[in-house]
Amino acid sequence: MASLAALPLAAAGQVGEGFFHERTPGNRPCQANPSHLFCWDWARENIDRYGTPALQQLELVLISVVLGFLVAFALALLAHRRRWLRPPLLAGTGVLYAIPSISFFLLLLPITGRSRETAIIALSAYTLQIIFRNVTVGLENVPESAKDSARGMGMTERQILWRVEIPLATPEIIGGLRIATVSTIAIATLAVFVHAGGLGTQIYGAANLRFPTSILISIVIVMVMAFIFDAALLTIQYFTTPWRRARAS
Amino acid sequence: MSEAQATSESQPQPGASSVSYEGATKRYGGSATPAVDNLTLEVPAGEICVLVGPSGCGKTTAMRMVNRTVEMSEGDIRVGGESVRDKDPAKLRREIGYVIQQIGLFPHRTIAENIGAVPQLLGWKKERTRARTSELLELIGLDPELGERYPVQLSGGQQQRVGVARALAADPLVMLMDEPFGAIDPIARERLQNEFLRLQAQVRKTVLFVTHDIDEAIKMGDRIAIMKEGGRVEQYATPAEILMAPATEFVEDFVGADRALKRLALMRVSDIDLWEAPLAHVGQATTEVRAKLAEPDVEVPYPLLVDSERRPLGWLSERDLRAETVPAKPDSPLGPLLDRDDIMRDALADLLQGEAQYAAVVDHEGRIDGVLSVEIISEFLKSPAAKTEEHSAVERPHG
Repeated sequence: MASLAALPLAAAGQVGEGFFHERTPGNRPCQANPSHLFCWDWARENIDRYGTPALQQLELVLISVVLGFLVAFALALLAHRRRWLRPPLLAGTGVLYAIPSISFFLLLLPITGRSRETAIIALSAYTLQIIFRNVTVGLENVPESAKDSARGMGMTERQILWRVEIPLATPEIIGGLRIATVSTIAIATLAVFVHAGGLGTQIYGAANLRFPTSILISIVIVMVMAFIFDAALLTIQYFTTPWRRARAS
Repeated sequence: MSEAQATSESQPQPGASSVSYEGATKRYGGSATPAVDNLTLEVPAGEICVLVGPSGCGKTTAMRMVNRTVEMSEGDIRVGGESVRDKDPAKLRREIGYVIQQIGLFPHRTIAENIGAVPQLLGWKKERTRARTSELLELIGLDPELGERYPVQLSGGQQQRVGVARALAADPLVMLMDEPFGAIDPIARERLQNEFLRLQAQVRKTVLFVTHDIDEAIKMGDRIAIMKEGGRVEQYATPAEILMAPATEFVEDFVGADRALKRLALMRVSDIDLWEAPLAHVGQATTEVRAKLAEPDVEVPYPLLVDSERRPLGWLSERDLRAETVPAKPDSPLGPLLDRDDIMRDALADLLQGEAQYAAVVDHEGRIDGVLSVEIISEFLKSPAAKTEEHSAVERPHG
């Protein structure tokens, strides 16, 4: 953490030429050749430097998605009860979603400064739209007849929500979480611009323009991460929605 | 909820309660005329009361006011003497079975979990719910193995049976059924109706049954309330009374011009005076049989061959009678054989389908009881008991 905080990474331009030399021990033949897309020798020697950024990235994603989910889920339940809240909430989260990502991080700088909090606020804000929309749609798709019979048999509104509506909306809710998680894993690389670390530290550097190996390694790590999260969420969906696998015999 | 309350609530309440509407009125905001206007109606415990009428007559609203899924604006409804207004809506609904046309099973719960939904709400022990669930699966004639399936894996008819079982699970005092068989194909509907009537004979619940189908109302109802716009009851009577003596022109129109025919659905073969056929036994001298046929008041012109227990074997033809004695194998087959307890409408269908003029009617032991003919039925339909449209009934000579 300490070494990373010392890096002057407020913007790509500030990374400068030094980054490359400073952080690239050894002088492999392929390093000198800019047309060489991937330098295996360098990768083998430097792979350990991705551990900490990857963990930071993971932490940023987890905190942001959980936070975003809690906020969006609460907003969706509110909009479910009070229908008139739905359009403004949809518009509000939509505006947040439409802000170009780098500018969002930079806009927050004067308010929250260069910190992990800034990154988490921006990343959470991006998840709101997708999760809010999916939870709302999921709740809306619950068959009216199931709600009618639930009410008619004596379930309270709260019981209808937690025992009928939310379980039946699970596929849409998890669907929203999957998109939100995967996109957050990608966008979290921008956290480097507010000094919040992550794999962005290994991607954004002027030196990498001539030496793409580090970018490629980071991309692979991001993709593997996204794949693992997506598979985990799909597994959760599989085990929480057994009725969806039941087919007419 | 206190513990004492929890235990008292989890006790099954046996039997059924009466339902009385006392000037129940429902006004929707923005509508000048009430959906249900000052409805007063008494449904005795253990009976099926069918609310029937054209769409928009307020029958569903009237039904839903009982479990307060629609809150009445004025008046009161008492279930077993207690006002529904005095109870917490959720608790009230747990004592009232509820079946809707769209069935509304929970897609994410197994059949057993669906049936056990109300017991779960009432806080029953798992063991007790499980026992009750298998009891109900058996009652509705579903394989207990299906309890582990999900609703999507069942046919529409099976799903609707489960819907009824779910409503019966906590032994409710009253059942509300809103067009329960409306979305089922006609053949399965007929079977479900019969099954429900059989079930009702066992459980004897007070049932409020909403339909727009007068035939279903006649079949299912102990009493029928024919409703007109605004939830006004035009006539509240037994099906037979409604068919014989419609109280108003509206009822007459609603029941339809074929109501005499509909009455046949309410009658059994034993309700009508049957004819007697001359009986013949194997080995009897044909001259004796011919003598019987020659009697002036003979009602059926063919002799019926019966065995020593008076069980019908077949009809004797002119050729059979040319022999010296009655043969063991009659020329004409027996044709349709009816039971005294058969529904008259079905009996007529059998006669027409068998292209037979006469059908032998037997008692429970299979002994001959009489003979039914298309003529008897047609005379019955023309008789004053069945005549319901005086102005159009034309006196026709017959004999």
